[in-house]
Amino acid sequence: MVSRGQSAVLLWIALALFGLVAAVLPDDAQALPAFARKYNMNCTACHTAPPILNTFGQRFLENGYQLPGTEDGGITGKKKLGDLTLDDVNNYVSFRMVGNAVSNWNFKQQNPPGTDAGVAVNKTEFTFPESFTMFTGGTLTKNVGFMVELGYDTSTGSANVERGFVSFNNLLGHDVAHVRVGRFDVGAFYSYTTVRQQLNDVGESLAGTGPNGAACGSGTFNPCTINRMGLTPSALATKFFGLYDRTGNYLSPYASSLFNSGGEMGIDVHGRPFGDWFLYQVGVLNGANEPTGDSNKGKDVYGMVRFDYAKSRDFSASLSGFVYLGHSNAKVQTQDDVNWNRYGVSGRATYKMVDVYAAFAVDKINKTPTGVAGQFDSTATGLTVGVDTYVTSKTMVSLRYDNLDAGGMINERQSSSFVGTQVKHFLRNNIAVFVRNDFNLRKADTGSTAAQNLRNAFFSGIDVIF
Amino acid sequence: MRFWITVCIGAVALLGGIGIDGAFAVKPEDNRATREKGKRIYERSCIFCHGSEGKGDGPAGWYLGRYEAPRPRDFTTESFKFRSTASGELPTDQDLFRTVTQGIPGYMPSFAGLNEEERWQVVSYIKTFNPSFKEEKPQPLPLPLPPGPPTDAGIEHGRKLYMKYGCHSCHGDNGYGDGSESLKGNLKDSRGLTISARNLTERESLKNGSTPRDIYRSVMTGLDGTPMPSFADSFAGKEKDAWDLIYYILSLSQDRR
Ligand code: HEC
Ligand code: HEC
Repeated sequence: MVSRGQSAVLLWIALALFGLVAAVLPDDAQALPAFARKYNMNCTACHTAPPILNTFGQRFLENGYQLPGTEDGGITGKKKLGDLTLDDVNNYVSFRMVGNAVSNWNFKQQNPPGTDAGVAVNKTEFTFPESFTMFTGGTLTKNVGFMVELGYDTSTGSANVERGFVSFNNLLGHDVAHVRVGRFDVGAFYSYTTVRQQLNDVGESLAGTGPNGAACGSGTFNPCTINRMGLTPSALATKFFGLYDRTGNYLSPYASSLFNSGGEMGIDVHGRPFGDWFLYQVGVLNGANEPTGDSNKGKDVYGMVRFDYAKSRDFSASLSGFVYLGHSNAKVQTQDDVNWNRYGVSGRATYKMVDVYAAFAVDKINKTPTGVAGQFDSTATGLTVGVDTYVTSKTMVSLRYDNLDAGGMINERQSSSFVGTQVKHFLRNNIAVFVRNDFNLRKADTGSTAAQNLRNAFFSGIDVIF
Repeated sequence: MRFWITVCIGAVALLGGIGIDGAFAVKPEDNRATREKGKRIYERSCIFCHGSEGKGDGPAGWYLGRYEAPRPRDFTTESFKFRSTASGELPTDQDLFRTVTQGIPGYMPSFAGLNEEERWQVVSYIKTFNPSFKEEKPQPLPLPLPPGPPTDAGIEHGRKLYMKYGCHSCHGDNGYGDGSESLKGNLKDSRGLTISARNLTERESLKNGSTPRDIYRSVMTGLDGTPMPSFADSFAGKEKDAWDLIYYILSLSQDRR
């Protein structure tokens, strides 16, 4: 636990940040992200709390950034590129800067893991902003939408195209088929969406060397020692320890992947041909788990169905399930190809301003290579359950439970259960400050390696979208 | 690579299916078929905010203003804000059509993406939620053309009227929506939710339109269901005064440009 004195200091820092941000902002700050500007709307028309979408925002997204029931891309996007003014550009471009200004970690570091009693580490870091994204999206013309998101990750110092795709909407009839081509967030229409979370992903911290002392990481087929585990939704994550992409890079067990990946290259079709109650989605991906290119032998395929109830009484509910079939989409230590599949269900319900969601997934490696036989658990599961609610018009409280029953190399894997709590206060519609604490529920289980020793993590951060 | 080429060709072929429909601008007769079509549009476009029974209880409704106003209109019982008719009356079809076309800045998008026929159809349908639409024949109040361009003297006179009629107590001395009643949180809408008086210096945020005649209409008819009253009686027979006031309000946003 954070000591009394320390939490007081952290709280003061958080409050000071709060005040500073509030003071610096001009009173009539009217900065609103692109879609809101374009339609002259508040963010809250589409978002329960950015970036999470309400039912109306979801249908806007599904319709290729056109209002539900319309094909209005031709009306609001009729300007030619040459006629664009700065105001128009404003209607397309948004920025998001988010991160934990102050993080405090409390974990036991063993070096090498599992061999010594370990040193208790209580570390405070200043890291804001952890990520900076610029996104632009809209319609090129009627029924042709686009989205490009550039992300800059301050910890790795690299900029990436997180997403970039074109969508062709309302093919064969209104809401019958919408096609996305490019690099897109695969699970965008799932009841629990990877890129739309209240509790931001916090990556693990890696030691840089493997248990054998050799450098781990790029292209080495050498596992990385995890100093401190990541805090990400277990249902969406990789879940396996000791998996590699096809070039030998260690795959983080905490990164969202497969159907729940935030960005994969491929083609995807979705629609609601029978009315609002039912959505289908099918797609094909490179599925190589590589940032670019396609070195694997086959494509990955997936299908999802979703049932919706969104009619009246301030209530909505949805239930979705998917099957994702990988085709030599990863390798194990022995450099053998494996087919890595995932089966998942998720649900979400909102009543007034209470938003409850849950997701469960089973990951399976369908044939364990003989080289790792007996050392590799080919099944892993993840469960995530959460709730967000506004307690006042400006304050949102979130609670999330994660349970990871990890798979992969039996001597490396780390199961975990965490509870995350967060209070987020919106100073303006688009500027929020938050404090968050994640607790490890498996305290008694000291485990054999360092990763299990994360006790407590405190964050205080800022989320700005403009 | 071959795979992707096939895919692209497929996509282009499908794209050919996207046509341009030049549907045309006639108000359809208000009959069963029209209302049925309107219902289909309503259930795709409006239901998430207004709810399947028009009670303003769609699942996205609460998030808009959270614990404050506005919530989506309950078509079954609530009065309407944006009318050309006298306070207390129903809106005309044209009024409803205008709201659907222009949207409501901040809270409801413009549905100009539906063609005109579709917008009339959905208007026919939402009227079925409130039986009074069958009985009453709402008549618009006269909406005169402005007498001429604004003058400095007229605007100055308008400022005095603004104080005289107490607009400042809600909208603030300079129109920023920061009048004492607003700041004290005394203003509530018909659901009892806190509502703020409009910031009149931000023209693009006016919900009922921002042309001189739009503002004239707002002031004369009032926004029913909110503390914003109708001033039709105060200005009866004093049309010149009314326009001075309107031009003063317009000058509040012009200064900032
Ligand atoms: C994003 C939510 C949203 C959607 C979608 C939406 N509305 Fe609204 N609508 C509102 C809100 C909120 C109000 C009340 C605004 C206020 O009181 O200031 C409103 C008010 C109205 C009014 C009443 C205006 C008045 O004079 O009082 C009408 C009529 C209306 N909407 C029609 C429609 C129709 C028709 C559709 C679908 C084509 C639709 N709305 C879709 C949110 C929405
Ligand atoms: C008792 C308080 C109150 C008084 C007095 C008042 N208003 Fe308002 N007014 C409001 C409120 C509240 C709204 C916003 C209603 C809403 O958002 O639905 C409003 C809205 C408006 C609007 C904007 C309509 C739109 O399109 O958005 C105008 C214009 C306006 N008032 C003008 C006036 C003028 C002129 C006077 C004096 C002659 C006046 N008001 C007196 C409370 C008041």
